[in-house]
Amino acid sequence: MSNYKKAARQCVIPWGIACILLIAPNCRAESDDDFFEARVRPVLVKHCQDCHGAKKQEGGLRLDSRDAWMRGGDRGEAIIAGQADKSLLIKAVRHDDPDLQMPPDNKKLTAAEIADLEAWVQRGAYDPRRETATQTSEKMSLEEARAFWSFQPLQAVTPPQNTTDHWSRTPLDAFVHAELKKHELSPVADADRRTLIRRATFDLTGLPPTPEEIDAFRHDESANAFEAVVDRLLKSPAYGERWGRHWLDVARYADTAGDGADYPVREAGKYRNWVINAFNHDQPFNEFVREQIAGDILALNGPAEKYADRVTATGFLAIGKRYGYKPSPDYQYLDFGDAIDSVGRSLLGLSLGCARCHDHKYDPVSAADYYALYGIMESTQWAFPGGEEQKRPSHFPPLVPPDEVAKREKAKAEELARMDCAIAALKRQRSELDPDSLVGGADLGFEAQQSGKPPGKPWFSAGPIEVTAEAQSPFDHIHPPGKLGIRLGSGKPNDGLRYVFENGLRAMPDKQMHFTIDFRAVDANEKGAFRFFIGRGVVESLSVECSATATEFAIRNGSNWEVIRQLTPGTWYTLRLTIDPAAKTYSGIIGTRDDLIVFQDKQTGPNWDGVIDCFICDGIGHVAGAACARDLDNLGLRETAFGAPDSGPVAPRSVEPDSQLRIAALDVEIKTLTERRQAASTELTYPVAYGVAEGSPMNSRIQLRGEPHRLSDEVPRRNLEVLGGEVVPAGSGSGRLELANWITRPTNPLTARVFVNRVWQWHFGEGLVATPSDFGSRGAVPTHPELLDWLAGEFIASGWSVKSLHRLIMNSRTYQLSSVDHEANLAVDPGNRWHWRYSRRSLDAESIRDAMLAVSGRLDRNVPESHPFPAVDTWAFTIHNPFHAVYDSNHRSVYLMVQRNRRHPYLALFDAADPNQSIAARQPTTTPTQALFLMNSPFVHEASDSFARRIISLSGDDQAKMRWAFETAHGQIPEDTIVRDAIAFVSAYREKLAGNESIAEKDIAAWSALVRVLLTSNAFLYVD
Amino acid sequence: MNQSQTRREFLSRASGGFGAVALAGMCSELQAAPDNPLSARNGHHAAKADRVIFLYSTGGTSHIDTFNHRPQLITDHGKSITASRWLNKSGEFNRFLIKPRYAFKQYGQSGTWVSDLFPHVGSVIDDVCVLNAMHCESDGHDKATLAAHTGSAQFSRPSAGSWVSYGLGTVNQNLPSFVVLAPAAPYAGAQTWSSDFLPACHQGTHVMPGTEPLPNIRPRNANTELQQMELALQSRLNQAHLAQRAADQSLDARIRSFETAFGMQREAPEAFDLSQETEDTLRLYGLERGATSGFGWQCLVARRLAERGVRFLELIDVGSSGNWDSHGDMGDHQRLAKAIDKPIAGLLTDLKQRGMLDRTLVVWTTEFGRTPFHLQADHAGREHHNLCFSSWMAGGGVKGGIVYGQSDEYGILTSEDAVHTHDLHATMLHLLGIDHERLTFRHAGRDFRLTDVHGRVVHEIIS
Repeated sequence: MSNYKKAARQCVIPWGIACILLIAPNCRAESDDDFFEARVRPVLVKHCQDCHGAKKQEGGLRLDSRDAWMRGGDRGEAIIAGQADKSLLIKAVRHDDPDLQMPPDNKKLTAAEIADLEAWVQRGAYDPRRETATQTSEKMSLEEARAFWSFQPLQAVTPPQNTTDHWSRTPLDAFVHAELKKHELSPVADADRRTLIRRATFDLTGLPPTPEEIDAFRHDESANAFEAVVDRLLKSPAYGERWGRHWLDVARYADTAGDGADYPVREAGKYRNWVINAFNHDQPFNEFVREQIAGDILALNGPAEKYADRVTATGFLAIGKRYGYKPSPDYQYLDFGDAIDSVGRSLLGLSLGCARCHDHKYDPVSAADYYALYGIMESTQWAFPGGEEQKRPSHFPPLVPPDEVAKREKAKAEELARMDCAIAALKRQRSELDPDSLVGGADLGFEAQQSGKPPGKPWFSAGPIEVTAEAQSPFDHIHPPGKLGIRLGSGKPNDGLRYVFENGLRAMPDKQMHFTIDFRAVDANEKGAFRFFIGRGVVESLSVECSATATEFAIRNGSNWEVIRQLTPGTWYTLRLTIDPAAKTYSGIIGTRDDLIVFQDKQTGPNWDGVIDCFICDGIGHVAGAACARDLDNLGLRETAFGAPDSGPVAPRSVEPDSQLRIAALDVEIKTLTERRQAASTELTYPVAYGVAEGSPMNSRIQLRGEPHRLSDEVPRRNLEVLGGEVVPAGSGSGRLELANWITRPTNPLTARVFVNRVWQWHFGEGLVATPSDFGSRGAVPTHPELLDWLAGEFIASGWSVKSLHRLIMNSRTYQLSSVDHEANLAVDPGNRWHWRYSRRSLDAESIRDAMLAVSGRLDRNVPESHPFPAVDTWAFTIHNPFHAVYDSNHRSVYLMVQRNRRHPYLALFDAADPNQSIAARQPTTTPTQALFLMNSPFVHEASDSFARRIISLSGDDQAKMRWAFETAHGQIPEDTIVRDAIAFVSAYREKLAGNESIAEKDIAAWSALVRVLLTSNAFLYVD
Repeated sequence: MNQSQTRREFLSRASGGFGAVALAGMCSELQAAPDNPLSARNGHHAAKADRVIFLYSTGGTSHIDTFNHRPQLITDHGKSITASRWLNKSGEFNRFLIKPRYAFKQYGQSGTWVSDLFPHVGSVIDDVCVLNAMHCESDGHDKATLAAHTGSAQFSRPSAGSWVSYGLGTVNQNLPSFVVLAPAAPYAGAQTWSSDFLPACHQGTHVMPGTEPLPNIRPRNANTELQQMELALQSRLNQAHLAQRAADQSLDARIRSFETAFGMQREAPEAFDLSQETEDTLRLYGLERGATSGFGWQCLVARRLAERGVRFLELIDVGSSGNWDSHGDMGDHQRLAKAIDKPIAGLLTDLKQRGMLDRTLVVWTTEFGRTPFHLQADHAGREHHNLCFSSWMAGGGVKGGIVYGQSDEYGILTSEDAVHTHDLHATMLHLLGIDHERLTFRHAGRDFRLTDVHGRVVHEIIS
């Protein structure tokens, strides 16, 4: 012990010396092993391994074995043996670097402990601890992955051949039967026809069968009666509306963007409709997937009629929850994260999102895999839906090819130019008729402005400035005698006054431009100059510039200032300019009535572009310093000359009566045309989709711990290693097309298995793999692995036909079993994993609502127009004032507006998919608040009233009506005692109704009550 | 449980039947079956609190103007400092210290400092444990709101109330286990009280103050006898339906949900009806008779629901606009504090008078605090500040009259006994008898917790 103490004492001295001493023999005397065990291991265990050990790997670093620390952490090598100064571990414990202080939060090691660690590293970082199997992560290696069931190639499976199996009707049944036998379960009886048609109709269309359809099936004695029902249902447009909705759950569909302000996305519905149509047309599933990932690229080389659809399909990528306020890389890593995770979960059954911060803990997906896909997303141009900072949508991909876009853009530009010309022509006509605008536009004499205030529109002003009677010019040869002018205080250099002429002048052959203004200096206290800028835009293109102090007046001749005359403070002067754009010269007069000075042949601004549409008076002139306060009045700009002082106003205020009518007519024309131009300029000349397009191809760098600013190595864009790892070839774009092909090639073991399993789940309530979006090591294993592979094989062989898959499943005996209880089977397999019966299911949100609308006769089967969102030019949603709306309709529920952040109250209440992420399976719940909706909501009461009216309008007695009502709502006609009970209920209810209603009203109320009972009872809400 | 037992149990209950029970108007005695996910059960250890009232101030309440008294900030007002992190941006930023807008006083026997914004809370401060070194990761409203409620700033996860409901169930099946009283949704919307992957019966039932706080709670026909007739017929149909399907517990659950709903029709309006409260009580909450909204209404209704066995109550004062987010002018805090100060003090006083405070944990928190400094000297507003802020807890096994946690002299960083949002959650669960590391739910292949992989129970504040 004394040895240790001695060594420790020596090591406590400052680092520079310690460094030298540590290699001294007396420190070395202690064996490496002893030193480690006595002084290093305890420190690591006590202070480091809680966060850098088996439980946690902060910074990606573990310090619980030599192998682990040799791998290093996110920041690289932690320990460089023999080089304490260069080892991050030592830097961290010394707290040298404010960004790297370990242990954190004022838990700095003692100086002795630090010295021990330094000594240890310096001596070579001897560490006897080797990694054991339990220390390494539970991550599956690629080797192990090849042996894992879901990554193995699809097996060619032959259905069991069992001569004693008299139960099976199809190969599918043979698989099921084999397992039933193995588990000593006996399948229950087949479902009766009423049950079966109700099951199949809700399953394929989300709607109940009508009594006529039930009847037809019951009386169809042909051998393929049920097959015919399935075929009929698959042909119904309602099929796509039902099965499209299933896919929309997986695709995390919503009609709003999902950032804090939750902007509406008008084009989202196009993707929804595309999905519905794809199911209705039985689009091969591999194409369905390829188009959703790379439809825009496929569109370029495909038939023109498919262009729009294919671009629309990429909505799958774009439609996820968005995080950004504006289209900015600062936020996009979260959007990309959503897209990568959704592709993984929905198509491959892999939780790729887990690899954002570190290699997947359990599955063979590395952070490099994640950032390989990230590069593909980053090389893609994403539609931006609108957000708090950029409140307008942008980058929505066009639904017409690029050449067509160019053509239409050009046509639009031409059309706008045409409209601009027409508007300008109308304005010219008007100004010729209107003496006020003859001199340039409204209010150049300030007479319409409010005294005592800065000038309002169309003037723009800054700094001390006021309209005042004191600033009225004595001259009246431009405007009639007035009462107001404008006074500008001294102010800052940029303070002043600006006027943009509505009818600016453009250089025309043989035309001159004439400008005039009256002004005076109010005081002589400030010595600096103010100026008049005359030209285009806000000092964009200078024509003529004049400048004045309290005592002198100057003009710019070309690039030089020339003083023209002296001024007396307080005296009003009038200035008149005549500009010759062709010669680029100007002349003018400046003075009072009796004292006019003429100047001629001065050069305009050397770079003047021939347009005058702006006048500015500010404090930047030919003499530096604060400009003097000044008064201005009587501006004018026109193509004909102004008169001399005392020549009388050029613009008499009298307007000919017929001119007035003509002006009014012109005003209307101008307004209409201007509005049309405004609308045309914001209108897209081509339809767009909420999807993606190709961006600039680039590889991404790994983001350590998923933090976008902590970048590590670049990763090439490539396939997941476990699926092949092929790299995106140079020059081939973002890599989305390659990704689409990798995902859908038949050798990919996951895609077909995952989808076939989903279809099974949507038919039976639970998949053969109970975790439909997780086929990894933490997911469930298949109950019937061979059946899963057989189905996947058949699916691919059918050309990825989803409708064929439905037939394969629904025509099996397994699907057609009854859902009755069976005591012995229940004891063995209460959850029905082995399919000894058909599992009863509750209707989902959409089916409840649609079925209520259907039986009440209120369901609108048309595809609705787009949602009535507020007009885009009014969008100003912020996180403080987010978009929120609920739109009523009687269309099918798949068409309801799905809001991401504040969910649709009905859809949320009945557990519809939460669009914030890809939903593997809905979690049906049973809550009292649902019951309150069923008991008391206006929707249920209105549906019941309508249904009641349908019943009352039937011919026949109460018995017949009651049987029809039951059959319509439940698909079944109950035994007579119940029918009698229900009839008795209607009469008793009618009796109980108080007072004033007519008999007809009482009738409706009583039947409506009966209908409510039918529509809220379990025979309606569940499907056997 | 074996099937036949379930069946027997059900049939015996059904023989009385919904119809009969409903007609007799005796619903409230119904107890949840043991397999009901909402039935009351014990936690992992003896609980100090039976329920939580979680008060949430939206927008980010300034800590240095409310509960964290920093005299040095007053002394050094206007001085320029270098903040090494500001609005989560790295780098160095020159900022000016801004003194609190509101004066502080010491209150109670404990002498706890409270600003003039909360004089009423000050008057009951001896029951309160102030946490002055709170911190969280995010300085964005929606992320910090989610973190305060679900423990995750980024991914959608179940709310704390849902976890508590999942862990402990509830004693009154006629009312939801988790009720949210809020005039408007906070930043993250309904995600704030979502059960996410937990069974949906644990989701918060959002109640909007107003004349119809629970949608569809009122029968559409005033004649309840008619509705009872309907439900009795429905019950007979359901029983006939169930007779062939007795093993299916979801059918039974649906039947039960109508019973609870019917119970709620009766009990919930009564719970929300303040007409029987005395003038003294109303005055305590600063409530005028007949009011159907305001934080006083929310607090008083919360007490009534707590009395009736609701497990987790969340009260949110304002929505995502016009809230505590005083970027422009800290004067806004006055109006917002005034709206909740007296009601909160009233709630604590009322609970105490009724002997309920011992077993009711009251928590007040917010997204984050506000910067003690600003880009401009003498600016009237403050920005978001997540590195240090204040919250408090009262009742339910928490030591009263103490301050736990210290910040630096300006309130910029926590310096001692920091409490992270995860720690707050861990402590809440602990007081309810739940070990936060053992309350898990398997989802997507992983066992999830409210506290993720974090959380420390702050034993120091537990009495």
